[in-house]
Amino acid sequence: MRGYLGQIRAIVWKDLLLEFRTRERIAAMAAFAVLAAVLFNYAIDKSLVSPQNIAAGLIWMTIVFGGLLGIGRTFNLEAQDGAMQGVLMSPAPKDAVFLGKTIANFVLLYVVAILVVGVFMLFFGLDLGTSPLALAGALALGALGFVALGTLFSAVSSGTHMGETLLPILVFPLLVPMVIYGTTATGRLLGGRPVAEVAGNLRMLGAFALVAIFAGAGLFRFVVED
Amino acid sequence: METAIEVAAPVATAAPTVLEASGLVREYGTVVAVDGIDLSLGEGEFLTIFGPNGAGKTSLLRVLAGGVRPSEGVVRVRGKELDFGEVDWRRHIGVLSHQGFLYGHLTVEENLRFFGSLFELRDLKTLIPERLEQVGLTDRRHFLVRQLSHGMKQRLSLARALLHDPDLVLLDEPYTGLDPSAASVLRNVLSTLRDGRRTVLMVTHNLSEGLKLATRVAIQVRGKFAFEAQRSDVSPDTFEHLYHEVVEGWK
Amino acid sequence: MSVRGLRIGGTSLAVLGLLLVGLVFGLSFFWVSTEASQGIAQRIFYIHVPAAWVAFLAFGIVALTSAMYLWLRDDRLDRAALAAAEGGMIFATIMLTTGPLWGKIAWGTYWTWEPRLTLTLLLWFIYLGYFLVRSSSENAERGKRFAAVVGIVGALDIPLIHLSVVWFRSLHPQPVVVKPDAPSLPGDMLSLLMLGLLAFTLLFFGLFLLRYALETLRDAADARERRATT
Repeated sequence: MRGYLGQIRAIVWKDLLLEFRTRERIAAMAAFAVLAAVLFNYAIDKSLVSPQNIAAGLIWMTIVFGGLLGIGRTFNLEAQDGAMQGVLMSPAPKDAVFLGKTIANFVLLYVVAILVVGVFMLFFGLDLGTSPLALAGALALGALGFVALGTLFSAVSSGTHMGETLLPILVFPLLVPMVIYGTTATGRLLGGRPVAEVAGNLRMLGAFALVAIFAGAGLFRFVVED
Repeated sequence: METAIEVAAPVATAAPTVLEASGLVREYGTVVAVDGIDLSLGEGEFLTIFGPNGAGKTSLLRVLAGGVRPSEGVVRVRGKELDFGEVDWRRHIGVLSHQGFLYGHLTVEENLRFFGSLFELRDLKTLIPERLEQVGLTDRRHFLVRQLSHGMKQRLSLARALLHDPDLVLLDEPYTGLDPSAASVLRNVLSTLRDGRRTVLMVTHNLSEGLKLATRVAIQVRGKFAFEAQRSDVSPDTFEHLYHEVVEGWK
Repeated sequence: MSVRGLRIGGTSLAVLGLLLVGLVFGLSFFWVSTEASQGIAQRIFYIHVPAAWVAFLAFGIVALTSAMYLWLRDDRLDRAALAAAEGGMIFATIMLTTGPLWGKIAWGTYWTWEPRLTLTLLLWFIYLGYFLVRSSSENAERGKRFAAVVGIVGALDIPLIHLSVVWFRSLHPQPVVVKPDAPSLPGDMLSLLMLGLLAFTLLFFGLFLLRYALETLRDAADARERRATT
């Protein structure tokens, strides 16, 4: 077991180190987050709708679109260097490889999610609502499920001619539960509702994340084998 | 400056079979890269496979290394069929691929540490400097791989392939793109694999280097073995001629 | 089962199914009683609901055969998944076209975010993903595996999507639309609905067998071509 966790840790560390050195994905995702918020400002007629009312939805959609940008490129560097083959031929089980990549993607996405919330707070004068902790938790659980599905299907789309353009088609239908429970929870928290009202949502987000992670870990080996 | 490499006499057949393949076929869509190959390597043997581009040598290597499943046929390592559902047998195989298997944006040491963790190796703190010393890259350990020359990358790839001390080593075109001095360094490291307990399979189209360390040779053309022999049965002077004859003959 | 047997079986089922569908059409126009609040337009229900049922049944088959394909690697299972997916997508399309038609005539709007309609729309896109992944893969064998993964993950997620969409609906009630639901259906409507389900199911299995037979022939032809060119 220790060796298994060590393998996962090695992959997480390696991915984060590579991201730190190249800064490709995080730059794209972060820039997207800020620019999207700017565009939203001009896209919303504040005389008709107050940003506070739709903030939850805007935040989550920005995270999803921006996140997909980064997640879509999960396996690009591996393919470029040809190193993925080396990883697949090592004694690391495929589910460990998947979990490592998913955790690394989660770290990246969560940083971006926090950035998005921060940007929206800044641009639209929001406050953190009832419980910043619960908000952080909702974002984390949603991001986890999203990242697990995204990582699995990123491996799939990398093996097709359509590449990253296929990713939204594959992932978006499956994200509906995350969007529904995530935005409802976020909307309630930002709107000052008590934490008890979002407990059910958080549980469903957790269930979604669990299913996504198990499905991904179980099916990844069939995606990467040749 | 070349040092003469002694070619050992053929190993007595009492040596256990390390790598075995029967009826190996590997197709990619309509292309048949490996078209029915049988092979049996005993412990301590060093088989070099020559062949023109497109002969399917890399595909053969990938199947034998457990990188891809064969379309037909069986690969056995130490008598056990390769089970893609398990991972333990991968600890005994080391692969040097012409793809490199290295991350350009990580340093030499970071690459080795990463793969060392994947192979669950202990004592990487002492093991890595040892291997780097072996391939002569000690003073480059903090260099990013993308800053290395091709020859140094090959040496690092070799260090990576041997990091976990595998007893079956598969090398795909290790000499390609190396100048004579780099090739010499590589050859010296590879000659240490001829220690009697390690089994090596090398694929190359460098005829002279390929012969130097081999105990057995084969020529692959269009997915099949067109020629097989013990190293002692061929002479370095006539081998080039023999090779061209075989390759032309199969066209 | 021989290809010939499959084609005979498939054709018989399909013809029988079509005849029954024709019967359902006829009965829905001339026999069954009119639903009180919606009038004649409601009769599209007898096509709309069975189509949805088949679309989801087909997807269940896709998921099951896909999982077994990944486990056993038998190409026949993959062919079955493909045949089921094509059938399923057709019936999902029927459901998605009859739904808005019904909505427009009965309530004045094409789309109402009704949970079942939404779920079928998402299912339709999962089917789309299934086919895109198969056809755009660089390697046909991997394409089959990719598609199988899409099918399995889709099947795992659909219950969650259903739960979430129904829950969302309960939070944001749309204008109440009366839609007769199976348990509360009067006798003749229920019977016609059951007949419709049977008809569409038979039709689906007929098409499924025919499609499966076609794919078997296609694979055999590909294999012969490969052997000829080597």
